[in-house]
Amino acid sequence: MTMRVDAKVVMLGKESVGKTSLVERYVHHRFLVGPYQNTIGAAFVAKPIQVADKVVTLGIWDTAGSERYEAMSRIYYRGARAAIVCYDLTDTSSFQRAKFWVNELQNCEEHCKIYLCGTKLDLIESDRGLRQVDYHDVQDFADEIGATHFETSSKTGSKVDELFEKVAEDYNSISFQFMTEETGIDLGQKKDSYFYTCCHS
Amino acid sequence: MAGDVHNKGVSWEVQQNGTLAPVDRLRNDRSESPTPGLVEGTEPGAGQESAMFVHAQSFEDLTADNEVPTETEPKGDSVLGESVEEEALCLAAEEKIQEDLHRSKEEDVCTEAWRSHRKHVFVLSEAGKPIYTRYGTEEALSSTMGVMMALVSVVEADKNIIRSIHADGYKVVFLRKTPLVLVGVSRTCQSDLELTRELQYIYYQIVSLLTLTQLNHIFQHKQNYDLRRLLAGSEHLTDNLLQMLDRDPGLLLSAVTCLPLASSTRDLVSSSLQAAKAKNLVFSILLAGDRLVTLVRKKDQYLHHMDLHLLFNLVGSSSSFREGEGWTPICLPKFNTAGFFHAHISYLEPASDLCLILVSTDREDFFNLSECKHRFLERLSRRSAYQALKEALKCPSYSVTQVGIPELRHFLYKSKSSGLYTSPELSLPYQSEEEQERLMGLYQYLHSRLHHPKRPLRSVYRCGETENLMAWVTSGFELYLCFSPLGTKALAVAAVNKLLRWIRKEEDRLFILSPLTY
Repeated sequence: MTMRVDAKVVMLGKESVGKTSLVERYVHHRFLVGPYQNTIGAAFVAKPIQVADKVVTLGIWDTAGSERYEAMSRIYYRGARAAIVCYDLTDTSSFQRAKFWVNELQNCEEHCKIYLCGTKLDLIESDRGLRQVDYHDVQDFADEIGATHFETSSKTGSKVDELFEKVAEDYNSISFQFMTEETGIDLGQKKDSYFYTCCHS
Repeated sequence: MAGDVHNKGVSWEVQQNGTLAPVDRLRNDRSESPTPGLVEGTEPGAGQESAMFVHAQSFEDLTADNEVPTETEPKGDSVLGESVEEEALCLAAEEKIQEDLHRSKEEDVCTEAWRSHRKHVFVLSEAGKPIYTRYGTEEALSSTMGVMMALVSVVEADKNIIRSIHADGYKVVFLRKTPLVLVGVSRTCQSDLELTRELQYIYYQIVSLLTLTQLNHIFQHKQNYDLRRLLAGSEHLTDNLLQMLDRDPGLLLSAVTCLPLASSTRDLVSSSLQAAKAKNLVFSILLAGDRLVTLVRKKDQYLHHMDLHLLFNLVGSSSSFREGEGWTPICLPKFNTAGFFHAHISYLEPASDLCLILVSTDREDFFNLSECKHRFLERLSRRSAYQALKEALKCPSYSVTQVGIPELRHFLYKSKSSGLYTSPELSLPYQSEEEQERLMGLYQYLHSRLHHPKRPLRSVYRCGETENLMAWVTSGFELYLCFSPLGTKALAVAAVNKLLRWIRKEEDRLFILSPLTY
């Protein structure tokens, strides 16, 4: 009865950058207006998505940004196939924090693909002066670390679906690659740890 | 005494077999006794087998504040609650940038409006650094909190402890809980003891987020650490808890109330929950809003009502569990202040009030518990208990008129041995928030008279302009009644017997009489 999860996706980033809103927009197609509510611990949601001719189920971990849960964050990103590292386009410090997460992932999860996601694009569109994180700076950083870069708005929905579709597509093509590579079985070799994910099946 | 926190169950079992009537006779006593409930364990609402909660003889025991030293690990093979990892201390992250606190309560602390709040609560570190204020912002109060710390230190310099200051209609209550200092400033008529107890709740709320081990560790390393960094985003939990303390009789009574439910349905829900167990699962709790539907626990492990209130508060003050499944570390401080449990929190349906909390000792247990939830739901719907439960949700309370005592406006009844209470919905004239808090204030007053540390009373009758009140405590129960001002004392006494008989008749529905374990 439990849904089978293909790819573990983890949302990371400073508190109040809008990780929950992003998931909310993607999964429930809505944007909740109201006082800011911080996530407690982490929230998990499974979302099937159609990629080419097959369905990939993303298991999305929406983590709390609060420093309090930092020690716990490993259990959320361990074995993740994709990490969406969010920062607030109107807040430089949130981008510093995003770099911290990227560093963390590079050290602990080398197989995790990183997606840099700028949030609250609608605020920038209404007032360009609010932008504190330059598009090209992030793009350069993304190129350097081999990440994909998006600027999104959960309020308008801009680029949100594209982001998650890209995550699913990448998962699909990478796992396909691996399938073709692993045609023969080497009995002497241990089970490739790459296929270990925290999400049991 | 520290043992109370943990395996009190053993001594309680002995008590039940030793001093109280055997279980089968209990049944008879229940129906025949003309004035039921004068003996603990036979009062209406008393559980039949064993209590769900940490058991203690009296309110004073339950609220007695004994710090739990580390040697009170639960005995047995598995040690519950993992210890906090060193890495939890992210003190290293010094590059951390100025937190901009998104507070909606930006209130000028120099105004009369700020001063005139009924109850202020401040939390500070021993270095005098602000950690929390109920109203206004901490930054604006750093000098005020400095003065508070100075007061504490000056008195301590003479090997004394400052407990409270009474002046100008205000009570200033101090609670020193190394490494924190909590201060309450109140204009209410609550006693010092009650105010201190509320501060304890706030203290435990903070501990539940961090564990005491981590808290101590932080301040040992850096005395002037700004704890707000770690508590960021939790202010609304504390705000909400303070509001609960003002309004929820459960926190006053050290008890929990249940969703009224036919016992056959409740038993089915409980057994479904019992069947959906997992190796590291310690507590399974089903809530309907702020009411308990059922609680199933690991054998020999007891939950303290205070910890349960903290869980209620966590769930009640956050919408983040509405979508998807929540997974969070939580310390249950009355169980063990040293480590975290891990709670799987989810609503049975997105729009439903039914919230399931599964508490495990293993931080990797998320998918196991998610599986438990599915098994529970499957079982529940197969037996049509789910439908009955949803039906019961439509009337989560009952009207006082059902009791059939015309002068009676409201009451609180707590069964001591089960730690559960029941109370009708608040009807006119207590429907406005103001009136509700006023009535709660009256109950608080009665409570403090009954539990006065030096001159406790067994019963109180108080005539007022707007209502007459009565309170009565026996070894089995605690009862608080609110009558119309036209009633008399004789009527009130007669009403008590009638009410007790009514509660006895309804106890199957209003209480959890047969709690389960796995």
